[in-house]
Amino acid sequence: MFVLNDQQVSFILNDIRRNGIELEELQLNLLDHICCVIENEMPPEKSFEEFYRSILPRFFRHELREIQEETDLLLTFKHYYAMKKVMIISGTISATAFVLGSFFKVMHWPGASMLLVLGITIISFVFLPLLFVLKAKEVNATRNKMIVGLGSFFGMIMSLAILFKVMHWPGATIMWLTALGILFFLFLPIYFFTGVRNPDTKVNTMVSSILILVAGAMMFMLINLRPSHSIEYANFSANQHISQVYKYATEQNNQKYLNLISDSSNVKSNSELLKTSSNDLCNKVELIKSQIVAFVTDGNNPESEEELMRDLTGNYDAPTNVLFEKNSDPKAALKELKSAIGDFKILLKESFSKNDTILLNTNDVHKFGDPYDVVISWEKANYYQVPFENVMRNLTQLQLDIRIIEASCLK
Amino acid sequence: MYSSELIKGTLKTIVLKLLSESDKMYGYEITQKVKELTAGKILLTEGALYPTLHAMEAEGILTAEAVNVGNRIRKYYSVTKTGKKIAKEKVNEFEDFMNTMIFLLGLKPKIG
Repeated sequence: MFVLNDQQVSFILNDIRRNGIELEELQLNLLDHICCVIENEMPPEKSFEEFYRSILPRFFRHELREIQEETDLLLTFKHYYAMKKVMIISGTISATAFVLGSFFKVMHWPGASMLLVLGITIISFVFLPLLFVLKAKEVNATRNKMIVGLGSFFGMIMSLAILFKVMHWPGATIMWLTALGILFFLFLPIYFFTGVRNPDTKVNTMVSSILILVAGAMMFMLINLRPSHSIEYANFSANQHISQVYKYATEQNNQKYLNLISDSSNVKSNSELLKTSSNDLCNKVELIKSQIVAFVTDGNNPESEEELMRDLTGNYDAPTNVLFEKNSDPKAALKELKSAIGDFKILLKESFSKNDTILLNTNDVHKFGDPYDVVISWEKANYYQVPFENVMRNLTQLQLDIRIIEASCLK
Repeated sequence: MYSSELIKGTLKTIVLKLLSESDKMYGYEITQKVKELTAGKILLTEGALYPTLHAMEAEGILTAEAVNVGNRIRKYYSVTKTGKKIAKEKVNEFEDFMNTMIFLLGLKPKIG
């Protein structure tokens, strides 16, 4: 029997590689097979190279790399089925969680948030990426792959943006704008101009593009939906009223201080202390209010309080950005305010025997909403991801509380 | 020799059956064994055999063992436990298919 030498073996191996067999295991298999054929079947009168060339066509129809392609196809097919299965299962789970979650949310039942987060997380990070991989395999042109990619990416960002919006987490607006940017400036143009060029898909593409545009615009409107004007007005007038009461109370107290001047020196020194402490605390609150306003108006003075309120109603992000760190811990200003309120209450107790529990209450509170059994800090309950108009009202209410207690000390 | 379409559908069955009856075999050996058993009527093409072997290895139906033979490496294939079960199922399925075909095409089975 003829035995191949090292040189001949490496000649065959190189030839196999050159002809497009990339998988090492496959190279080794083919090498051994070809060597076996040569060693067992080569007639003595033929030369090695001549015989090698003559048997090679047994392995393919047109070219050797067909074996590599066939192997790739079979190997990916296996993953293909597993991926398809995972995609369908994840899709079913997320759709179920999403439907249940929305229903729970409407009914104000506990667990709604968890279901919504689960549903949207699975759809964004499992279902859509798998859909992209599987769909991208089915289309050939790079342009179509891009459309599938952009479409899936848009879907991911959009579902996350909606989740953030529904959960009142910071950053929803920027995500939503990114999603819309992708939809209107990347996805739609590529989708439209690719489809419109082909006579077979022309009408379909035009109709789908219009539907996508309208649906996108409707979603935009819905997600930026503001409360009705009557609610906005109720908020505005309540804020305005409370501000006026605060101003009135401040004036009344000042008048009382003037009347006190004729009293004994002991009362006077006590009242001086009360006056400065109350004013300091009210100014601290006022400073926070002006910081929030300066943040949203970039330092420009708003034309009127009404305009400011109209523009910022429903703005959850501005007060949160001013008052809280990225990790949702309160910033120094808010912490200082809380401890100043504590000091003020000590003063009231020691110098005026006032031990009020209703006004200036900074205790932790039970969270109002899902999850229900959670206790959160005073700072978070009143100021974290709370709309602008309510933050402003809570702060003015605090100032008014101070004036009411101050008045009660000034008999 | 039968057409490659006929063989393609049964390739997996043939390979699994052969491998489950022996300890381990390598590619060339499988083609020779089939040729010998069928008196040259069934010739497995290498272009179909190796992709199928690799796919079955990836699916866990076969395991491969690389052995040095002189100046090259030879991959010996053997069936796993699941592979044995699948081999049995494939043979049974094919038997059923054959009986149906005999009935469908109105063939009289020749004995011997």
